[in-house]
Order: sequence, then C-alpha cells, then structure tokens
Amino acid sequence: MESHNLLRHQIIKRLMSQPPDRDADAAVHLWKRMATQIIPIIGEDGFSSLYARSIFLAQSTFPCLAAGPLAPQSDHRFAGLKTSLEGQTPAQASEANCLLLITFTNTLAALIGEQLTNRILQLAWGIDLSNSTAKEIPE
Amino acid sequence: MNKSNNDGTSDAGSPNQSGLSRQQEDKLAASAEKDMARRESVVVDDEATVVRREKSITQRKEAVTRRENVAESREDAAHRREGTATLREQVIHTADTGQAIPSDQLSMMQQANAQLVISVIEAQKLAEQVETTKAQLHHLAHHDVLTGLPNRMLLQDRVSQAIELARRQGTRLAVLFMDMDRFKYINDSLGHPVGDQLLQSVAKCLTDCVRHSDTVSRQGGDEFVVLLSTIKHAEDAALSAQKILTALAAPHLIDQLELHVSVSIGISTYPDDGQDAETLIKNADTAMYHAKENGRNNYKFFEQEMNVRAVQRQSIEAGLHRALERQEFVLYYQPKVDLQSNMIVGVEALIRWQHPQRGLVPPSQFLPIAEDGGLILPMGRWVLREACRQAQVWREAGLPPIIVAVNTSALEFRATDFLENIRATLEETSLEPGYLELELTESVLMQDADFTNTVLHGLADLGIKLAIDDFGTGYSSLSYLRRFPIDTLKIDKSFVNQIIKNPDDAAIVSAIISMGKSLKLRVVAEGVETPEQLAFLLAQHCDEGQGYYFGHPAVPKKLAILLKTGVLPLP
Repeated sequence: MESHNLLRHQIIKRLMSQPPDRDADAAVHLWKRMATQIIPIIGEDGFSSLYARSIFLAQSTFPCLAAGPLAPQSDHRFAGLKTSLEGQTPAQASEANCLLLITFTNTLAALIGEQLTNRILQLAWGIDLSNSTAKEIPE
Repeated sequence: MNKSNNDGTSDAGSPNQSGLSRQQEDKLAASAEKDMARRESVVVDDEATVVRREKSITQRKEAVTRRENVAESREDAAHRREGTATLREQVIHTADTGQAIPSDQLSMMQQANAQLVISVIEAQKLAEQVETTKAQLHHLAHHDVLTGLPNRMLLQDRVSQAIELARRQGTRLAVLFMDMDRFKYINDSLGHPVGDQLLQSVAKCLTDCVRHSDTVSRQGGDEFVVLLSTIKHAEDAALSAQKILTALAAPHLIDQLELHVSVSIGISTYPDDGQDAETLIKNADTAMYHAKENGRNNYKFFEQEMNVRAVQRQSIEAGLHRALERQEFVLYYQPKVDLQSNMIVGVEALIRWQHPQRGLVPPSQFLPIAEDGGLILPMGRWVLREACRQAQVWREAGLPPIIVAVNTSALEFRATDFLENIRATLEETSLEPGYLELELTESVLMQDADFTNTVLHGLADLGIKLAIDDFGTGYSSLSYLRRFPIDTLKIDKSFVNQIIKNPDDAAIVSAIISMGKSLKLRVVAEGVETPEQLAFLLAQHCDEGQGYYFGHPAVPKKLAILLKTGVLPLP
C-alpha cells in the first residue's frame, strides 16, 4: 500500500513540477479532470466535502489555500483555488497544489481503496498507475 | 598352421602367408595406424563440431527464449494497453448504461455515495477533535494554564525520573523551591491582571535562566520549582540560584509599570536531602522558608535541623485555620498614658492565641505565618470588630472614654473593600469613629502614595484617628507627614529603650518629639519600662507613653477595673 502511495505521490509531484506551462491554469486543469471523474460517483456534495477536508488539512502547511465552499458552477468550481495559487510564486503554488492533490487523493484512497483511486486517476489524467514505471499514456 | 603375429611384429623381410614382405606389412600397418589416427582425429573434430553445434543450438534456444520473453513483454504491454482501452470502453459503456438507468435512481446513488463520503469525513473530523481534546486535556493536566509551565504533577514525575537516572549514573540533582517575596501586596494593590502578567514574566525569566534539560514548574500561587536534573556539586545549584536572583532583580515591565520583585529560594539536593521526589521538594520548601526568614531575596540550602522547625510551623499554620472558627483568638489591651496627667487615654488592642494545648501563644510565633498564609486579612478584620465592640461595651458601661488603637497590616490596607469594611464595622458596633485609631507602619504608607493618600483621607473624613507605628525604623519620610492626615507618631521602642544609655538614641527621640510638636502631631513613646525613661520623656514634653512601666497588655475585664479606678498598677 505504501509503495502505491509513494508512486501516486511521485506522479503528482512530477505532474506539478513539469515546466513551463504548469501555472495556476494547469493546476486547476488537473482538478477539473479529476472532478469530472469523481463527481459522477460521489456527487457534487461528496466531492465538495472531500475537497474542503483536503483544504483544511493542507492549510496548516500552506495557509494561502482558500477555504470555503466550491463554486457550484463547474466552470468556476476551482476559481478560489486558482486565485489562491496565483497569489503565490510559481514554486510555492506548485508545492501547495502538490500537497493539496496528495492530501485529496490520500483521503479518497482511504475511503474507496487504493486500486479504485488509481483507476480514477488513470482516467482523469491519462496516467498509467498499474506498474512502477508509471508511464504517461499519450492521449 | 603357421603361427602369425597379429600384432604385426613379425620379422621384417621374411615372407608371410599372404605373400607380403615384412616391410610391406609394416608399411601397411603404419598406413593403417595413420588412417586410424586420422579417423580418430576426424571423430574428435566431429565431436567438437557436435559440441559447438550443441552450444549453438543452446544459444539459439536462449535467443529464442529471449525473443519469446520480449514478445511476451510486448504482449503484456499490449495487454496493458488493451486493459486501459477496455477501462475507457467500460467507462463509456457505464456512461451509456447510466443513461439507461432512470435518472432518479442515479441521482439517489450519487446522493448515497455523497452522504457516505460526508459521513466518513465528519467521523474523521470528530475523531481528530477527540484526539485533539484528549491531547489538550493531557496538557492541561500536566501544565499550568497561566504560564504554560509544567505543573506540580509533571514536576513530580520529572523529579522521580531524574532521581532514577541519577541513581543509575551516580550523579546528583538539585531542586530549587522559590516563592516570590511580597507578591500578595502586588496582587492586592495592583490587581490580579497585573499579578498574572508578573507571574508570566517571572516564569519566562526563570526559563531563560536554566538549561533546556532542566524543568521550571509553577506549583501554584507565587511558588515556582526548578529541577536542575544534573549537577556536579552543590555549588552548581548555588550558582543557578544566584543567577535567578540576579535575573529577577531586573525590573519587570507590566502595563507600563516597572515592577521590582525578588524571590526566596530553598535548595535540596539528591542524594543528600532525600531519596524521592516528594521529600526533595518538601525539603526545598522548608529551606525556602528559612531563606525568607533570613531577610528574603536570598537562597538557603536545606539542613536536617530545619525539619523540626518546619513541623512546628506546619502545626501552627494548620492550627491557625481552625483558631478563627473555634474563636481561639483573644484581645489583650495595653494602656497608653498621658504623661502629664498620668491618666489612661487609650489602649492598643493586641492579639493573642489561646491555643488549646500550647496555652497562650505570643503574636511573634504566629503572625508571620498568618501573613504568609493569607490569614492575616480575616484575622485583622476580627481584631478590628472585636476591639470596636469592646470599646463600645466599655463606653456603655459608663467607663471613661478612651481611644482604642488597632494595628492594620498592609494586606488589609490594600484590600479593595478596606474603607467599606471599617465603615460597616463602626456601624455594626455603634462605636463613634473618633474613638478608633488605626496604627500603620511606614512601609504600608510608602507603597503607592496616591492610593495611600486617598484611603487615609477617606479614613480621616470618617473621623478615625491615624497613627504611624514604629516611627524611625522605616523610611522616616518627612514629606508624607506633611501630605497625609496623620494624628499621632509612635516612637519605636528600640529608641526609647536606649535613651538613658545611648546619647544618639536620646537625640533621635528628642528630635522626633520636637518634630511632632512642630507638625502638631501627638507623640507616643513605646516601650517605656523605667522611671528614668519616663523622666526623660517628660523633660522632652512627650505627650503619651506606652510600655510595661504603665501596664502590661491586659484582658478586657482587668483593663475595665483600671479604667474604673483610674489607678495604674505599680510597675
């Protein structure tokens, strides 16, 4: 389980460290793709609850992360997150979002299991999480 | 039959049965051998070839295997890709199926999942809150809320652990028990918020004075204990104590006030002064009391002899609490005499403790303990009420009117309801304020001049008389004599005792009397014991005298007889 966690964490870190276009828009894009996969399963409220919990946990390290409910419109769902990340240096924004994603996926994995979480992430991000090489599947 | 040599070793040149000469036979044989060798060589070559071929076959097999493995790997990768594709197809299929499911059912499933997620997260939050609360409770149970320092319980544990370690390693440790000097006055005069901030400031100062491995704890009130977990010699503890005294001597800036505090420190060391935490702390506490008795703002190492006195002190302290409830205190009254008329013009009420086992206990044995333990306040109020009541009883009995004087401690004087209590007592006992005199020491008057001035004028406005007790032993500030509404100066008996033998003391007494006259104050000489002293005081025109020469402190009944007859007993 730990190795899977580490693998998932590594992939998130790698996704967040890829220059040059990994700005706030790119960070939010990851969230949008993930939300698209998760919301049909656990509903808007379930996702919001997970997200709020992750924000709360990550805020102890990055107080800049905005608390508060997600916007109801899917287009602006992560507007608050985007604003928070835009107010930081690229490095800080990357680290903050990285921690937020790890926290979110950790919580999700604790709820629905590692395997299902990885499958969802595969679908959301087009990432192969089935082996240790963790190749990115071209779209 | 001719015997032939099968081994071909027949004589050369001689004909054999085949008709070949020996030489020919030899050649043939040689040729055959060569052929054999060649054939053997060919066989060997063939064997090598076979081995090579076998090797080659093996290599080929291996190569095939590798190719097969590669092929399998490729197949695996292809399978994985197919799997991924299948996943995607499943998702698409699921989506398609979802469209087929009634939307309300899908919605309900989503809602159910959402509720599950929300419930689990809420449960996580609650579990965290429980853990946090447990941690907070644990911290609260082991730390002082005001200063954040370890409390008595945690200190006990740390001292016990330090003792175990010292026992194993053959090292020493020290416990420093400290009590802030006169903290109660600060708390009472400046209020608890200031007192609390001062305690926090002291706590920080103490923490800065010791090593990280040491423990500073607050026992409660103004008591702190420092555990020096490792020391080489007892002198190390003395150095730490001196460092603390020096550091605390610096002013503490609280609410724009510069407060000066000092502490008295008692030191006990392991293994000399105790083998367990409780004994070490108790002995350090005992030593601290001795430091206080030795003038405060110093430190004292524990000595076994201190325990005897500590037991006595503890016994007195416990008894004092019961004494008020059981009405074991009594008042004695010592007359003040007009030196010109030789008439009793007043009395000073003096408290005594009628102890059920120890008999009459003099105030010197219990007043300091009552002061430290905070009992001085209820005790002082009892004295005031009882003295006023008695004075009124004498008046109502038709005895000549006299002024009854009561000593007032700093703690009473600084109490917020001091004036109100006086007013209520006078009302309750029906004593006219002009027959009550409050005796205050110079040190009481010198603290917070503005507050003192307000209270003194409040008392004077009520009509109460005010006297400065033990004059000459304190600040002897002339400015407050002018500023405050004082009626009487009481010259300390230490000067009066020596006026015949010591010209300096005689000069001081003369000066005080003269100054009192100039300021229109009545002057009372305390501790008058001989006719020579009385003669000197009369010559200096001193107004009143008090002391054994005129009369010992007496019970009310006896004093009533004196007042009735107007005759003073012979010295």
